[in-house]
Amino acid sequence: MSVKNYYLPQSLPDALELLQQKQEDLLVMGGGTVAMPLINEGISSPEEVMGLRQVGLHYLRQSNGSLTIGATTTLTTLLRQSPIEILAEAASQTGAWSVRNMATVGGNFFVPPPAGDLATALLALDAQLTLAGPSGERVLPASEFYTGFLNTKLEPGELLKEITVAIPDGHTAFLKHGRKQANTPSIVTVAAYVKLEGQTVTTARIALNAVGPHPIRARRAESKLEGTQLEEVAIEKAGEEAAAECAPATDAIASEWYRRKMTKVFVRRALQQIAGKESA
Amino acid sequence: MASKIITFNLNGRETEVLAKPLTTLQSLLREQLGYMATKTGCRQGGCGSCTVLVNGEPMAACLLPVEDIAGSDVLTLEGLTPDIGLHPLQEAVFDNFATQCGYCTPGMLMVSKALLDQNPQPSRQEIVEALSGNVCRCTGYEPIIKAVQDAATRMNGHSGGES
Repeated sequence: MSVKNYYLPQSLPDALELLQQKQEDLLVMGGGTVAMPLINEGISSPEEVMGLRQVGLHYLRQSNGSLTIGATTTLTTLLRQSPIEILAEAASQTGAWSVRNMATVGGNFFVPPPAGDLATALLALDAQLTLAGPSGERVLPASEFYTGFLNTKLEPGELLKEITVAIPDGHTAFLKHGRKQANTPSIVTVAAYVKLEGQTVTTARIALNAVGPHPIRARRAESKLEGTQLEEVAIEKAGEEAAAECAPATDAIASEWYRRKMTKVFVRRALQQIAGKESA
Repeated sequence: MASKIITFNLNGRETEVLAKPLTTLQSLLREQLGYMATKTGCRQGGCGSCTVLVNGEPMAACLLPVEDIAGSDVLTLEGLTPDIGLHPLQEAVFDNFATQCGYCTPGMLMVSKALLDQNPQPSRQEIVEALSGNVCRCTGYEPIIKAVQDAATRMNGHSGGES
């Protein structure tokens, strides 16, 4: 092991100060479920590592119809305490129990697909990310956060502090398709939020994972839905559109062809679930 | 920075260790302290063979820096095993032939311990979900699930869900 220093700052200002001093030399680690495997394998051999487990960002706060989640809140805490069903559902389908006890909500925004299913649910809820840096904080929508594979708009010296979502006033669905029923890498993950006025869709947000370089919004499928009735033909078209606009890759889990097929199927199923909830 | 002195509670005993930066709990247990029940599997957090309980919650010891658990309570299979005889979970594993090569067994037992502590009457589905992070390549999972159901009965007098 080549690690010379491992830091466990006890506050966010301490963490930011350390980051400011060390800049790119410092590997920042949340729950360690992605960084530690790479270090154990020797793929990554950082000399300086900062762990955020004790930085004081482990909390859920509810106010004025919104939920704020501290970036180092574990998936288990979210699963047990989330007032938002889709987030608890997404957390329950991310990793195994021991991993959920370690993995953090904020960390899920920095993992390569097919990981990142929780961030996908947050994307469908139009989450706002609070980024803390040396010159203060700024807020960025999750939908603008990703810039490419393992690339985000996080600037050097910045840390993700918390994630805020409005308590959904519409319907949501979360479906993950994998090879097993639990603890499985995603073939495609669909998180959907739909708001209806009468039978008409006023807002649709569809987030997809494992079918692009990072969790993505299916914008064309969303705009196909908005203004229409949430019924069979519109749902089918939205599924087709999502399958056309996603950009899956072939890997050991599934082929590009199959992922695209399943994107259509699971977007359709998610929307059907929402339509079912509406009529129920 | 040199090694740090870390104090934590291991199996009910205050324990002080000298750990190099980012040493994992797994390598500390096995290589420094000689606690060999916690196995080394994938070292990726994917197989569950290194599962220990930290403050009652299952965690992958291979992903956990020792510095992070300072002041915590850690339970390994050595701590689950009573001085004389076996824990009901171990008895149930033995009686249900739920172990073959034994490599996954410590991890299975620790997750099952946490499950039954938090949920004394788990359904079959809850048992399956709890064990989903633990890989067994010998017995298949059926005897292991049965053993956890059996242990729930022994410990609580309940059936542990229909099989």
